[in-house]
Amino acid sequence: MIILEDIYYKYEPEGIEALRGVSLQIREGEHLALIGPNGCGKTTLIRHLNSLLLPASGKITVDGSDTKDTRQQAQIRSRVGMVFQNPDNQIVGMTVEEDVAFGPENLRLPTAEIKKRVAESLDRVGISELACRNIENLSGGEKRLVAIAGVLAMRPRYIALDEPTAFLDPAAAGRVLNIIDKLHSEGVGIIHVTHNMEEAALTQRIVVLNEGRVYLDGTVREIFGKAVMLQKTGMRLPQITELLIKMKEAGFPVRTDIVSLQEALQQIISLTEPVKD
Amino acid sequence: MYHTGSFIKGQSLIYNLDPRLKLAVTVFLSIFILWVKPPVAFFTGIAIFGAALISRVSLRTIGQAMKPLLYFIVLIFLVHVLFDEGGVWFKTPFFAISLPLTGLKQGFFVVWRFLCLIVAAVLLTMTTAPSQMIAAIKYFLKPLKLLRAPVDDIAVMIMLALRLMPIMLAQKEKIEIAQKARGYHLYSSGFIKRIKAFLFLTSNVLLSVFRRADELAMAMDARNYQRGDRSSFIELKLTSADYLVIIVLVILFAAITFLN
Repeated sequence: MIILEDIYYKYEPEGIEALRGVSLQIREGEHLALIGPNGCGKTTLIRHLNSLLLPASGKITVDGSDTKDTRQQAQIRSRVGMVFQNPDNQIVGMTVEEDVAFGPENLRLPTAEIKKRVAESLDRVGISELACRNIENLSGGEKRLVAIAGVLAMRPRYIALDEPTAFLDPAAAGRVLNIIDKLHSEGVGIIHVTHNMEEAALTQRIVVLNEGRVYLDGTVREIFGKAVMLQKTGMRLPQITELLIKMKEAGFPVRTDIVSLQEALQQIISLTEPVKD
Repeated sequence: MYHTGSFIKGQSLIYNLDPRLKLAVTVFLSIFILWVKPPVAFFTGIAIFGAALISRVSLRTIGQAMKPLLYFIVLIFLVHVLFDEGGVWFKTPFFAISLPLTGLKQGFFVVWRFLCLIVAAVLLTMTTAPSQMIAAIKYFLKPLKLLRAPVDDIAVMIMLALRLMPIMLAQKEKIEIAQKARGYHLYSSGFIKRIKAFLFLTSNVLLSVFRRADELAMAMDARNYQRGDRSSFIELKLTSADYLVIIVLVILFAAITFLN
């Protein structure tokens, strides 16, 4: 479990306070969406999870290890993988397999074990056929998958993904989301930073950050049920939820804590059914 | 996009040779060809061009790689011809022109040696993947570890430089396009304007590269990068083909040295 206790963080020398007393618990195998408006501290928060940033005050433990303990940092970084927003800024190798091997090489694993992990990670994200391809010749979606494979080669228990579908077309974004879902079903804890409420609706739990604080925390249904509070942060609900809110305001007896298109459809169809005596 | 001297995927005896062997032979050949007498240098050059044919890298591609140096090569040749001090001239049957024989000879052999060096280097980089090359460099630098030289860090630095280069070029193109989109043409205005535009472009490219490098360093940290020893994905192993090439080369060089 990852435990954050009253975390404060300030960017120097600008003095911008990015996190102001964040407390949170992330369970192993959990699929969590971290949402919030620009500049609310989402990226800063996830960079704390694997010790890339250290809190000015407060404490973060990853499976019992304190992120401030320099002796534990290597272990923490193996446990919490980080996929950055721009894969071009994360990929180090010249070819796909070389990049995926970068993490295991840092762990000083023997060559045979590195090769095994590279093959396994590429297979998990479904890009084994790209192994020898030059990074420069890949599409944005493929680069994103390479970045995920590179993290998987470290065999992490948790993966924090910073807007993994940003700048991708719907097909590539769908492929990335399927991989994330698959990893979650394999037991990897997912911390998914996103602006997209449809993506957030696919998770188990949503944490809304606003001005460096945890503003809302709950299941997807609970958060979508607090539409007014959510809109105050500038976040937009999924269009289908907004439609149901408008219908409710117009006097239709519908629920607004809807998380899927199927549920919304059922609600609307139920309105057309004749009332039984 | 093809860049001069960059690796081109392929399959041949030269491609499959151990990168350490290729690197060592190229360095050795570069010294050797400058050291031996002209006739021996000529035949060594023939052997290098023979290796280029065996490598199955098209001669056109090798020619393309040499194109940027063409003016330099012509200049070297002309300098030897025009400033000949040998004093032996011969009359050409055409146009009644006399040419300095020793200058021509000297110019030819200097250019020949120069071409051989380029072909050997181009052949090495075209048939050896950058990662293989880095592994070979790391292997040869290993003894420096005894002197506490940061060999693994140097290898990572080379890898990062190779990784950042295409990013820098792409960034430069992006900024150029952005400038053009706003009606600014870098290469068509006056000299001072061009200098200003160049400085603007350079500072922007550098700024963006530093930003990227910063992010990349953080991403490397996230994947547990620490200075010092690292293991390697690339396994360097000499095969029977490598041993055979070593034997052939040793015999050839011994024979050439004897003749020289």
